[in-house]
Amino acid sequence: MELILDRVTKQYKNKIAVDRLSASLKEGVYGLLGANGAGKTTLMRMICGIAQISSGEIRLDGEDVGAMGGRYRDLLGYLPQDFGYYHRFTAMEFMLYIALLKGLNRSYAVRQCKLLLQKVGLESEMRHKIRTFSGGMRQRLGIAQALLNDPKILILDEPTAGLDPKERVRFRDMIAELGRERIVILSTHIVSDVEEIADWIFLMRQGQFIAQGTLEDLKAHYLEVAGDAEPEKFNLEKLYLFYFSE
Amino acid sequence: MIRYEWKKIFGSRLNVATMLLGYLLIGICVYNYITQERFYDAATDSYIEGVEAYRLEQELAQSQTDVITEAYVTDLIRDIQSSGMDLESDDAYVEIIRPLGDMFYFVSKNYTDMRSENTDMDALDKVDVSEGAHFYEHRMEKITDYLNMDFSYGNYTEAEKAYWIAKASRTNVPFRWGSKSVMDKVGELLFAVFYLWFVVAICVSSVFSSEYESGAAYLLLTTKYGKDRLVRSKIGVAVLFTVGYLTGGVLFAVVPVALLLGLPGADLPVQLWNPVIPYNITIGQLCLGMFGLLLLIGSAIALVLLCCSAGLRSSLATLTIGAAVIIAPAFFPMSKKSGLWNHINYLFPVRAFNLEDVMGSYVSYAAGNVVISYTAMVVIVYMAVSAVSLLWIRRAFVKTR
Repeated sequence: MELILDRVTKQYKNKIAVDRLSASLKEGVYGLLGANGAGKTTLMRMICGIAQISSGEIRLDGEDVGAMGGRYRDLLGYLPQDFGYYHRFTAMEFMLYIALLKGLNRSYAVRQCKLLLQKVGLESEMRHKIRTFSGGMRQRLGIAQALLNDPKILILDEPTAGLDPKERVRFRDMIAELGRERIVILSTHIVSDVEEIADWIFLMRQGQFIAQGTLEDLKAHYLEVAGDAEPEKFNLEKLYLFYFSE
Repeated sequence: MIRYEWKKIFGSRLNVATMLLGYLLIGICVYNYITQERFYDAATDSYIEGVEAYRLEQELAQSQTDVITEAYVTDLIRDIQSSGMDLESDDAYVEIIRPLGDMFYFVSKNYTDMRSENTDMDALDKVDVSEGAHFYEHRMEKITDYLNMDFSYGNYTEAEKAYWIAKASRTNVPFRWGSKSVMDKVGELLFAVFYLWFVVAICVSSVFSSEYESGAAYLLLTTKYGKDRLVRSKIGVAVLFTVGYLTGGVLFAVVPVALLLGLPGADLPVQLWNPVIPYNITIGQLCLGMFGLLLLIGSAIALVLLCCSAGLRSSLATLTIGAAVIIAPAFFPMSKKSGLWNHINYLFPVRAFNLEDVMGSYVSYAAGNVVISYTAMVVIVYMAVSAVSLLWIRRAFVKTR
C-alpha cells in the first residue's frame, strides 16, 4: 500500500496553509513535527478528505482518494485534535455509534469495542458517561475509536496530549506496533514521542517540509548544517530547536 | 443510527426543558379556554362560566334552528328591525345581541362589507326585508361585487373571478346551524400550537451545527457512512421529531377539550365561521386541514433550519434565522401598491397557517387561465421548500472547506 502526496496545496484567501507538499508513504510510522500554525492539522485533514485540496493530488495505490469516496474512508482511522465527545453517551455507546458509522456489523462491533476499550484501559468505565471522564481518558477513548475498523491508514492528531507519562509510553508502544502493518501519521508537539517511534520524520514550517528523513538522516543533516561539535549528544529536540527557535 | 441521533436531541437539557415548556403553555391555554368561556343565561340573568357555558350555548343553538333558511333569516331581521333600537347601543346588546348569541354575529357578518375585518353591528338595520332577506343571494352578490372591485394593488383577473364565483356557488346551501363554540376553541387552540415551531427550531438548529461546533464533524465525516447514512438519519430523526412533537402538541390541546366537551359542531359547515368562505367543507375538516398545514409548514421550517445548521455551522445563527422566519413575517404590512408583495407576504408561515382567515380571503395565484387557490399554493410552496432543503442539507454538511 502506498499513499502519495503529490504537490498538495491548501490555500485560504490570503494564506497558504500547506504549500506543494509531496511525499510517498508506505507502512510505518510517520511523525509530523512543527510549531502551531505550521499546517500539520490542515495536512492531516486533507489526507482524511475533510479539507478541500486547493491543488495537487493524494493517491492511494495510484487511485485518487477523492474518487474512492467510501472505499477510502473505510480504510481510514482518524483521531482529530480536540474533538467534542457526546458527553451524555457512555464510552460503550460512543464506540458503538462510531462502529455503526464505520459499517461494522453489530455483533462484531460489540466484541471489537470491548476489546479496544480493554486495550486502552477503559474496560471498567465502558458504562460510564463520557462527561465523567478526565482529559486523558477521553484521549484514550479517541484512540480506541480510531482503531475500530482496523484501519490501514491511521491518522492521529496529537494522540498523546493529555496522557500522563506512563500512559504516553504505553501508547507509544502501541502506535509503534500498529505501524508495522499500516501507515500511521501522527502529529505532536512532544518531540520525544516522534523520536521514539517514528520511522520517518517530517519537520513542517509555514506549510512546507523543511526537513525530512529517518532519525539518522536528520542527525547527519543537523550535524552538517549546525556544525555541532558534540554529535554523541544529538537528539531530535536539538534539531527542533535549531529550526524553530528563530 | 437513528437511536443515537434521537439520543442527541433528547440528551440536551435545553431541548427537553423547551419541549416541556411548550407543552406546559398549551396546557395553560386549554385550561383558560375551557374555564373562561362565558354564556349569558337569561333565565337567571347571570353569566355561566366553564363547561356549563358550552352546554348552554349548545342548547341555545338547538333552540334557534337546524338550518339557516331564508324564512328564518327574514323573520329574524324583521324582529330585530321592529325593535327600533340602535344596534350599536348598550340596550340593543342586552336585549337583542346577547340573547341571540352567535346567530346575531353570523347573520350580521353576511351583510358586512367583505373588506371589513370586524362584523358591522348595525348591518341588519340596513337590510331591506320587504321581499325577504335574500340571505344566500346577498352572499353571492357580495362575493361578486368584491371580486369586481378596484384595488390599488391590482384587480382580480377574469380567470380568477370565474374561478372564485364557481367555487363559492358550489357551496351547499342552506347552511346547517348548531353550536360551534367548542370548535371555535379547537380552531383557536390549533392556531396557538404554531408557537411549538419555536421549540422545533430550538431543537433542530443544533442537529448539524453542533457537530462542527464540538469538532465531532471532523471525525464523523471520515467514517464510511458519515457522508450519507448519517445525514439521512439526522434528517429522518429531525423530521420525525418535528411531526411527533407537533402532533403531541395538537393531541395535548384537543384531547382534553374532546374528553370534557366532545366535539359538537365539527360536522357543521365552515361557513358558520365566515359565510363567504367558498370551500365546501366542515369545521372539523378545516381543523384537520390546519393540523396538516401545521405539520407541513413545521417540517418545512425544520428542513430549512437543518440546511442552515449544516451550512452555517452555528446553532445560534440558525436559531436566529428560525425565529425570524417564524415570527417576523407576522409584522410585515400588506402593501397598498404591490400585489406581488402581498401575494408573497401571504405565504409566510404564520399567515399561511391561519386557515380561518386564509379561506375567506379570496387570495389566488393566477398565470394566464391557470388559477391556484391560496391553500393549494401554500401546500405547493412548502413542499417545494422542503424538497429543495432536502437536496441541500447533505451538500452543505459534507462540503469541505
